[in-house]
Amino acid sequence: MKALTRFGLAFALSAVAISVPAQETGEVQQLHQQLQEMKENFERVQKEQRAQIEALQKQLDALQRQQQAAVTPATSAPPATATAEQVQQLQDKVNEVVEAQKKILPGEFNPAIGVVGETIFSYHSRGADQTGSDRPGGFDAFQRSVELNVSGSVDPFAKAWVVANASADAQSGEANFGIEEAALETTSLPANLTLTAGRFFGEFGRLGYIHDHELPFVNRPLALDEYIGGESRTDGLQLNWLPPLNQFVSLTVGVGDSFGGDSPLANPGNYRVFSEANFWGRLSTYFDLTPDWQLEAGVSGLWNPNTDDRGGVNALTAANGDPMTEHERRLAGLDFKVSYVPLRNNEFRSLTWGTELLYSDNRYLVDPDNSLNPASPVPGLTGDEFNAGVGSLGLYSYVTYKWHRQWSGGFLFDWVQDPQNHDNQAFAYSPYLTWALSHWNQLRLQYTHTDHSAASGLPADDAVYLQWAWIIGAHSHGWTQR
Amino acid sequence: MKMKCLRSLVWAAVAAVTLTGWSAQAAPIRIVTTLTDLADFARNVGGDHVEVFSLATGIEDTHGVPMKPSFLPRLNRADLLLLIGFGCEHAFLPALIEASKNPRIEYGHPGYVDCSQGIDPVGVPKSTDHSQGDVHPYGNPHYLLDPVLARTAVSNICAALVQNFPQYAADFTRNRDAYLAQLDAKIAAWEQAAAVLKGVKFVSYHEHWPYFAKRFGLDYIGTIELKPGIDPTPRHIEELVNEMKAQHVPIVVREPQFPEKVPALIAKQTGATLVKLPIMPGGVPHTGTYIEMMDYLIRTMVGAVAK
Repeated sequence: MKALTRFGLAFALSAVAISVPAQETGEVQQLHQQLQEMKENFERVQKEQRAQIEALQKQLDALQRQQQAAVTPATSAPPATATAEQVQQLQDKVNEVVEAQKKILPGEFNPAIGVVGETIFSYHSRGADQTGSDRPGGFDAFQRSVELNVSGSVDPFAKAWVVANASADAQSGEANFGIEEAALETTSLPANLTLTAGRFFGEFGRLGYIHDHELPFVNRPLALDEYIGGESRTDGLQLNWLPPLNQFVSLTVGVGDSFGGDSPLANPGNYRVFSEANFWGRLSTYFDLTPDWQLEAGVSGLWNPNTDDRGGVNALTAANGDPMTEHERRLAGLDFKVSYVPLRNNEFRSLTWGTELLYSDNRYLVDPDNSLNPASPVPGLTGDEFNAGVGSLGLYSYVTYKWHRQWSGGFLFDWVQDPQNHDNQAFAYSPYLTWALSHWNQLRLQYTHTDHSAASGLPADDAVYLQWAWIIGAHSHGWTQR
Repeated sequence: MKMKCLRSLVWAAVAAVTLTGWSAQAAPIRIVTTLTDLADFARNVGGDHVEVFSLATGIEDTHGVPMKPSFLPRLNRADLLLLIGFGCEHAFLPALIEASKNPRIEYGHPGYVDCSQGIDPVGVPKSTDHSQGDVHPYGNPHYLLDPVLARTAVSNICAALVQNFPQYAADFTRNRDAYLAQLDAKIAAWEQAAAVLKGVKFVSYHEHWPYFAKRFGLDYIGTIELKPGIDPTPRHIEELVNEMKAQHVPIVVREPQFPEKVPALIAKQTGATLVKLPIMPGGVPHTGTYIEMMDYLIRTMVGAVAK
């Protein structure tokens, strides 16, 4: 700024010197005055320019701050590289939160918990004394079961589940609470093996190990009720093997203290041998007939070498009326299921034909004079006792057609021979209609006409059932209930 | 004698070469995927190193693949299981995994590959109560209908292959980059073609399309289903028709696995165009690959708008 001032003064003086023609006093004063005015003008212009320069500098600073603010949102923000890292860290945290929400179980809790309720409203044309049913004649409402399901992983090597069932006693109506299943199953055995231990439904046949509320119809088929005794519940061990083949084959063997509807042991305090256990097995396979048509087939066997007087001593009756005691249980089964499951719309349309044939070949000790009856004055062998085998057959076959996401209907045919007297036979015909409002809420209407052979002495009867089943919470019985 | 020796040597050499070649010929990596999009990605990334089997053929509902026992031998020997995630396969996959007796593909093991890793889901429900239908607790699982999110799934598959089979890492990475470049070029073309779809309103049978709508700027009005997995009631249909009329919704989307009757009725009552859109490759003819399917989706929607 000083150099600029000096240059300005020199320029002004030179101009003045050039313009002075003579050395007169008046002129000198005039020239001094002009010089003074020019100095003042120069200083004023200089001040104005300096002010302009300062103003421009302020504007420039302000603009630079605005640009910096646009690049970094906060004055304390770290450099750009650190910001990218922060964004990545934030993204990773979001991903972790998303991943943390991915639970493997469908239930809200661990273990998964669910409840199934099942109510049966019915009308029977005859009373229990004429049908052999455990339900009375006429109108009837029956809370068949309230089932609590709890399942989860035990550790990396096993899972476990418990099914507790409260059902009304068929006679008294009082609730009976019991553990229907409580089992542990391995998840990491080598060689494609799975071991199940505890109380569970042993794998025999096609529908023997399916819970009542998951059957395609209201009631368990007569053959399963007669030969297995309801669901195939057992306390024992079961080993399943998936052979390493391209074809699906499943092999199951098991051993248990009871199987199905065994009566309580007649001699619970006695010494028991291994042969008093139940042994069972099942071999099944599957074929894709076409992409939409499937065939599943299996054979099953159940053997109890010594039934330990199942049902009690002389509690059974032979065809000729002689009292007898079961001492060996033999049961074989053959089953298949043909299904039409269209890949495109199987939620809306499907067809299933399932059939199971059972052959019972139990061995009995016949006691014509009833001398073994504990109520006899002197219970014991009298020499008239003899062994007898009774072969009997049972079969059920059903067709279910689904034509809508909510609607399906079908027909069940039942036939069974009494395992103690094969002349005593029962036939049942049951059309049924199912309305599934959702996966968890289902109504089923079924009519059943039951007829009997003359040997049974029972009249035909008719029944109408309305079943209402519902599920809350988690519910899955896994692969076997597919 | 010399000839005999020479012949023996030749046979020995042939045997040695054959045996060496046999042992050097590594067994292919066995991949099972739940849906066909993932199978297409796996083939593109895995190349010659992989043998891929998809449980779905493409025409199924993504939530309703039948649980066939014939799947078990495949799953039993699988090295990797690729799934969509977000609970998409909850109705069939957990039981299949359990029955397959293959610890490699169980949840938490390296062979269990959830391809939704890194994807921010939309539609995460506040409640999983069944009054809301068969909701997906982790969010809408149909993210592969957004091709940009499909890139993430491709990268996840590559990462899983590299993690499990690092000896082929270079091949997998090269294949992934090549496929993503191809996908990127298609994405640019799809976005350009779909410019006319911006702001276009539509309804669909099931809630398959939120990611698709978001990517291409469509306005997703609602579903024909009352709730996920729950069939529509007459009242719901009436309300939907009124809403569509009020908002002048021009398109009704029917996914091919759902019946046509109700969507056709709604389209007729509202004057909207009914279109059939696949939800995975193979859902309709000529959509065998993911890119072909996306081509079909864009082409069909643009065609519907042009009507």
